[in-house]
Amino acid sequence: MTTTTTPDSTPNSAGDRSGTESVPAPEGSRHRYLGRSMKRVEDPRLLVGRGGYIADTKMAGLTHAAIYRSPVAHGRIVSIDATEALKIPGVIAVVTGEDCKAHMNPCMNFGPATIAQYPLAVDKVRYAGEAVAAVIAESRYIAEDGVDALVVEIEALPPLVDPFKALEDDAPILHEEHGTNLAYERTFVFGEVEDTFAGADLVIEDRLHWGRSAGMPLETTGAIARPGLNGVLEIHCNSMNFSYFVFLIATALKLPSNRVTMHPVPAGGSFGSKFTAHKVPTLAGFLALQVQRPVSYVEDRQDHLMNSDHHASDRYYDARLAVKGDGTLLGLDIDVVDDYGAFLQFGVGTHGNALSQGVGPYRMQNLRYHLRAVLTNKCQQGAYRGFGSEVQNWVLERLIDQAAARLGMAPEEIRRKNFIQKDQFPYKIPGGNLYDSGDYDAVLDKALGMVDLDHWRAEQKRLREEEDRYIGIGLVTTQERSVFSSTEFWYWFDEPAFPITSSPESATITIDPSGEFQVLLHSQAMWGNSPETVAAMVVAEEFGIDPAKVNIRYADSAHALPGTGPGGSRFTVMVTGAIRGASRKLHKKIIDIAAHTLEVPAEDMEITNGRVQVKGAPEVGQELAEVAATAYFFALNLPEGMTSGLEEQYTYDHPLTSLPSADRSDLGIFYPIMGHNCHIAVMEVDPDTGQVSFLDYAAVHDAGTIVNPITLGGHVTGGTAQGVGTALLEELAYDEAGQFKSATFLDYLIPTANEVPAMKMGHVETPSPFTEYGIKGGGEGGRMATPGVISAAIDDALREYGMQVRQLPIKPSDIVQTVLAAKAANGGAATT
Amino acid sequence: MKPPPFAYYDPTSVDEAVSLRAEHEFDSLILAGGQSLVPMLNIRLARPEVLIDINRIEDLQTVRVTDTHVEFGATVRQHHLEVDPVVREKLPLLPEMARYIGHVENRHRGTIGGSLAHADSAAELPTAAITMDAEMVIAGPNGVRVEAAQDFFAGWMSTTVDGDELLVAVRFPVPRAGTGYGFVEVARRDGDFALAAAAAQLTLDESGRIASAAIGVASITDRPVRAGAVERQLVGMLPTRASVREAAAAIVEEVTASDDMHATHAYRRHLAAVVTARAVTAAVARAS
Repeated sequence: MTTTTTPDSTPNSAGDRSGTESVPAPEGSRHRYLGRSMKRVEDPRLLVGRGGYIADTKMAGLTHAAIYRSPVAHGRIVSIDATEALKIPGVIAVVTGEDCKAHMNPCMNFGPATIAQYPLAVDKVRYAGEAVAAVIAESRYIAEDGVDALVVEIEALPPLVDPFKALEDDAPILHEEHGTNLAYERTFVFGEVEDTFAGADLVIEDRLHWGRSAGMPLETTGAIARPGLNGVLEIHCNSMNFSYFVFLIATALKLPSNRVTMHPVPAGGSFGSKFTAHKVPTLAGFLALQVQRPVSYVEDRQDHLMNSDHHASDRYYDARLAVKGDGTLLGLDIDVVDDYGAFLQFGVGTHGNALSQGVGPYRMQNLRYHLRAVLTNKCQQGAYRGFGSEVQNWVLERLIDQAAARLGMAPEEIRRKNFIQKDQFPYKIPGGNLYDSGDYDAVLDKALGMVDLDHWRAEQKRLREEEDRYIGIGLVTTQERSVFSSTEFWYWFDEPAFPITSSPESATITIDPSGEFQVLLHSQAMWGNSPETVAAMVVAEEFGIDPAKVNIRYADSAHALPGTGPGGSRFTVMVTGAIRGASRKLHKKIIDIAAHTLEVPAEDMEITNGRVQVKGAPEVGQELAEVAATAYFFALNLPEGMTSGLEEQYTYDHPLTSLPSADRSDLGIFYPIMGHNCHIAVMEVDPDTGQVSFLDYAAVHDAGTIVNPITLGGHVTGGTAQGVGTALLEELAYDEAGQFKSATFLDYLIPTANEVPAMKMGHVETPSPFTEYGIKGGGEGGRMATPGVISAAIDDALREYGMQVRQLPIKPSDIVQTVLAAKAANGGAATT
Repeated sequence: MKPPPFAYYDPTSVDEAVSLRAEHEFDSLILAGGQSLVPMLNIRLARPEVLIDINRIEDLQTVRVTDTHVEFGATVRQHHLEVDPVVREKLPLLPEMARYIGHVENRHRGTIGGSLAHADSAAELPTAAITMDAEMVIAGPNGVRVEAAQDFFAGWMSTTVDGDELLVAVRFPVPRAGTGYGFVEVARRDGDFALAAAAAQLTLDESGRIASAAIGVASITDRPVRAGAVERQLVGMLPTRASVREAAAAIVEEVTASDDMHATHAYRRHLAAVVTARAVTAAVARAS
């Protein structure tokens, strides 16, 4: 049983940014620290340039690698002549795919084993920008001169750019060993899809294309590898989740796993692009082994744009929605072709994300999902905020808006009519995933209270009539799944090679001999989010101490406990579970020591305000520093059988996951901690130029119990900004020859502050019954909703011209062409 | 993204710079504000053997104002055009235009001469220069020559500046009192290069008809162009929404830019007419 509250959170107001102790807990809070707007403990060092990023890392004898990238989309490597490059003073070595083939295993890969990949192309190049050779030199400048001096002969093969053409019988084959460009195909059917569509009053059908974009952090991916003592290869890297996968890098490098140590380096942003980023550390490690010197490889922006291995979803949909005449949603039929590019490092996990919330927040029990994952001559997909679930949100909301328009219903009306009700949780959706809790009406109500739709609908009419201006209103209500379980990566296969079920997170808490707190985190360094702030707040909550007093460190892979790292909005929930588990163990030891010292029964004691004391008699007790001194220095004063020290670790497993059924009629529970949001946008569209602007924007999110409104607000805001990018601007484009057209920020357009709306933000808190404190993940933020709400607002503004957003990004030329075509069809009214 | 090796000179006089140019000719490039050149060096699109940094030449940093002209030295920063009260009073089209050049950070470093010499067809300053009949002051081994802006831009990112020459200043004539002006640009984002942009300066006669019109349009062909056909239609016309729109439509014949990832050819044709009409409309509203 959960309860829902709606705190009045204004995370951006200056008054909330005044530090830890000075900001009181919100009114009525059940917690002392959780829920406070607390400034990030990570910020001070970042703001003064002491982030300690990979490009700033110096090391004696360090060399630098630069990459020769394939100039063509598809071809056979005939020869690589390094003679001239090796003559350049300062050039140390040139390493190619031939070296990889001779000395490495293929890179880690969760896709079909017949689609193998190496950090440098072997035999064939499969996309423009693919790494072909590495030049190692005394400086990056010289390394790039060396790249220029390479003479590479590539016999061009016909490029595969269009995924539908790649599926044709006579298409050239990208991976001969795989035998087809169809990397993967499967159809899941849940419920009675055929009958539902046959009996529906209304079937909405559309073809939609979600274009390719990517997370674009300030800092690219980079690694420094050094052959170290005892034959251990030390890799310093800003990749995340490494305790989950470093043994796979060791496997690729043909080293025993205890001879590779990954050192955590903070990442200057990820948004998914550093999620299990394995190619860069694998390459740096391989190069260091080749030259037996420390090697730095840091992607430059062109490397990252062309060759990051983290382009995101590029999906073509034929989608159908079955609806009753009264607006009841009945069933969804998805036929999706996903243009994965040249490789499939993570399998089709992005579609597992789509299925985790396939029917959105709506009571709909019939779902068909037909996936074809296609190989083309493009950079492979990786992770980007939403990991493919945000695409499903966009498709579903697009169809529902069309249904509402056909039935004459307001967008809020059709959604509210179909919401899963708050007394129906936990709610099992078609496919098998479970939604833990929610109150979707409360979120919608709060959003409607922030944007006056009656006012804007009147303005829309008035401005059109009096000023010839076009404004539109969009509203979406979408899911934000959080806390993935690793089963989603393999339930696609009937006989998976490695049906992993663990996705834990760990924490170690140490109270040192002076009574000060150290927390050790275990799967990466800071990646731009707020892991240290979260950890400090939870420790503070558990012990009643000032969060500013907690110090956070990160374990290298040789010391790391099991961890999965951030991804799929899981870290806050998981690390909180780990810290709370370790705290409980520490509580017991502290109480046992104090009870023994004070000669009172342990069950009469409690820890509060950083002190252990007798319940109801707080004067009888000890400071934690006193207990710590006993624990470290006075073994003879400890209870019998207890050993010295005051440190505990805890590994928190996924709180709620289950296996898929053998026949896959039920995929099991794999993403159950379900957040929700409502976004409303009021936009103006200039039909003569195609330019758009925001007049009003509200975002209300429910991420369960809020840990820190400032950082959650940051997720909502940043996710919305990236949603604006995907919806309107960002495009990783390839031309017909497979040449990459977005190789600089001149052409890959990231929204700036000028393109991102000023936002009204609200929160609803529906705690999860399954997580510690009821926290849900909220890291994907606005990107789950913004593409949908922008599409809806633009359609609404130009409804008289039949505007229907079917493709992202929505370009000004698309808008103008739609308007001109409609005017021509209506007798050619002149333009302004 | 590191440049290949190059020799670097930082002369302190125009004479010294010209003699370096004479020595190295087209193997040399001029570094002014570096807002375009430095990225081009880093991605190795530009590979000069010699880089001549003119930022230490004080003569190039001066603004000379007379009753009839304002002359900007080549390395006067673009930001000056936004904030200088003299420019605002005498050449009001320039501050109207300048805010579209990149972002304010770019304008603090980017120079007037650099943008003109770079000659990007989508850039704002070249478009303003041809619209306002600016004159380019070019130094070479035989002294200084002056060239009309309309003749200066020779094609895709190219000018008439010869291998042994250097653009040292640009001279803008002060329009007569009552001249209306407008600058309208459409870009994917604030601060991006124009998908299309138009600058207009015009005067009205006593009856409210257009007496003279100068219109420059960016980003529709290989260089910024004057909209001659539109100008001819406008002169003598009583400007109304419909008449301006009809005249502006003549610009579409000038559009040669082919499809790119940001704009189709058809969209650019349409947009060229829209920005032209809007710039003229803005100028009419300001003319007296």
